[in-house]
Amino acid sequence: MAETTELKVYQFESASSAETIQVGRELTKLLEPPKFLILKGNLGTGKTTLVKGIAQALDAADPDEVTSPTFTLIHEYEGSRNDKPVLLYHLDLYRLEGERQLETLGLDDISSPDSIVLVEWGDKFKSVLKRSNGEIHIEAAGGDTRKITVTLK
Amino acid sequence: MTDETSTGSGLILAIESSCDETAAAVVERGSHTLSSVVASQIAIHSRYGGVVPELASREHLRNIVPVVRAALDRAGCTLSNLDAIAVTSGPGLAGALLVGISYAKALAYATGKPLLAVNHIEGHIHAVLLEQRQLSATAAADSISQPMPLPALALVVSGGHTHLYLTRQQGSPRDGGWTYQNVGRTVDDAAGEAFDKVAKLLGLGYPGGPWIDGLAPHGNSKAVAFAFAQVKAKLHRPGQRAAMPRFLFSFSGIKTAVLRYVEVHDLQSSIRARHGALAEITSPLLSDVLPLCDAQTLDLIASFQRAVVGDLKRKTFLAAEVLGAHSILVSGGVAANQELRTRFTAEAAKRGMPVAFPSLALSTDNAAMIAAAAWPKLLAGDFAPANLSADPSLALGR
Repeated sequence: MAETTELKVYQFESASSAETIQVGRELTKLLEPPKFLILKGNLGTGKTTLVKGIAQALDAADPDEVTSPTFTLIHEYEGSRNDKPVLLYHLDLYRLEGERQLETLGLDDISSPDSIVLVEWGDKFKSVLKRSNGEIHIEAAGGDTRKITVTLK
Repeated sequence: MTDETSTGSGLILAIESSCDETAAAVVERGSHTLSSVVASQIAIHSRYGGVVPELASREHLRNIVPVVRAALDRAGCTLSNLDAIAVTSGPGLAGALLVGISYAKALAYATGKPLLAVNHIEGHIHAVLLEQRQLSATAAADSISQPMPLPALALVVSGGHTHLYLTRQQGSPRDGGWTYQNVGRTVDDAAGEAFDKVAKLLGLGYPGGPWIDGLAPHGNSKAVAFAFAQVKAKLHRPGQRAAMPRFLFSFSGIKTAVLRYVEVHDLQSSIRARHGALAEITSPLLSDVLPLCDAQTLDLIASFQRAVVGDLKRKTFLAAEVLGAHSILVSGGVAANQELRTRFTAEAAKRGMPVAFPSLALSTDNAAMIAAAAWPKLLAGDFAPANLSADPSLALGR
């Protein structure tokens, strides 16, 4: 693992779910496709909420239309960024076990040059980690405060 | 267009494979179930803690031929007796849906019978209607009449859905097609997902909705106050959608509120202990779990369930009132929740509005509900296109 590429780290803070949506909109500026990012954070920290902001910034969906992919595994939204079409994918791998079961999700197909892929529970799988070119980490920082860190390779 | 006399036997064979169940059923005229076979895959999936797409597709492939054969045998009929073949076309897992669709298409092609495509959610709504029709058929002679006054407000509530549909029948009750208007939905988590995730937060394992249901009566439901933010429908893009849903649910906030409660009251160590103790038991029963929960946790569970059921009840009955619905149909996995049934039934009685729930057998995925939903489509000549394919994110209504 002699990966010596310099990592770029960006930090944001949020004090409410409305602010988390705002942070999502803001950090979309950093997400030049293609991006394949692990979306980390404990239950209830606001992962889906952050994706609401990202989808809104890409004009891909209204915040109300972005719902949890836990049951459905993959949600796809079509939007645009700087006048170029973008496909936003929101995945939750929580219910999957083992690398072989990942194959049916077609990660190769969705990792297109114009895609932004956000994968919850992606760090469960080595192959997903290897594929990723960064992560977004949401951490509870007391009460409703969240620390949101974007790390890009 | 078609009237009753121009159809033959009135028998529809339906196939359902949208998620974790391979199911087939033969139903006569959408109101009389001759057979309903479900090859439960629960035993295979529970080892993996949920539905796994690859396993689901492989198991559907293994099950589909024997399940369809059993459905025909139990109905005492052959393929040639059928009037049509119906299949679930979405929403669901693409690979799983394709197994049922491919097989149904092949059967329709080989027998020359028409193929009917049914939305899985529509099926859940018709599960309730089918059962009500069967109940009223035993009481009254006319099995075609509509036992639930229409329009009905249907609440479809499960791990993947929390949706409200205003459900109508166009034309006569004998041959009218059904229409569904989506008038409400969740903006984040489904209600069933909130149950499952809160159960997981409290160390009860996943999926854990039934644990919450079982434990809630042992706590004080007024101990913890949970408030719901009222979500207002916004018209961001005028012209894009004809009618925006007006009743929006949100179950993400209460999940976070439970998390906060756990932190503030230092429940983490008891949660870890419970999780560890339950991991030692292979198939824990409620009597195993109950002693592992202290009073504070039971109060939290009871209060959480009371809040979620209260919110579902309030918005469903408000929507029914505002939209002029004459009855309420509740379906999906969460329709099995005891407190939900009790409180919806009480509220309906208070308002003099009929409410119906499916039996346990029909609240989970089955094919009888698909055959029931397909019958009015056959009468209306609403056939599936030859190039019918799986639509994993198929929406119902507008």
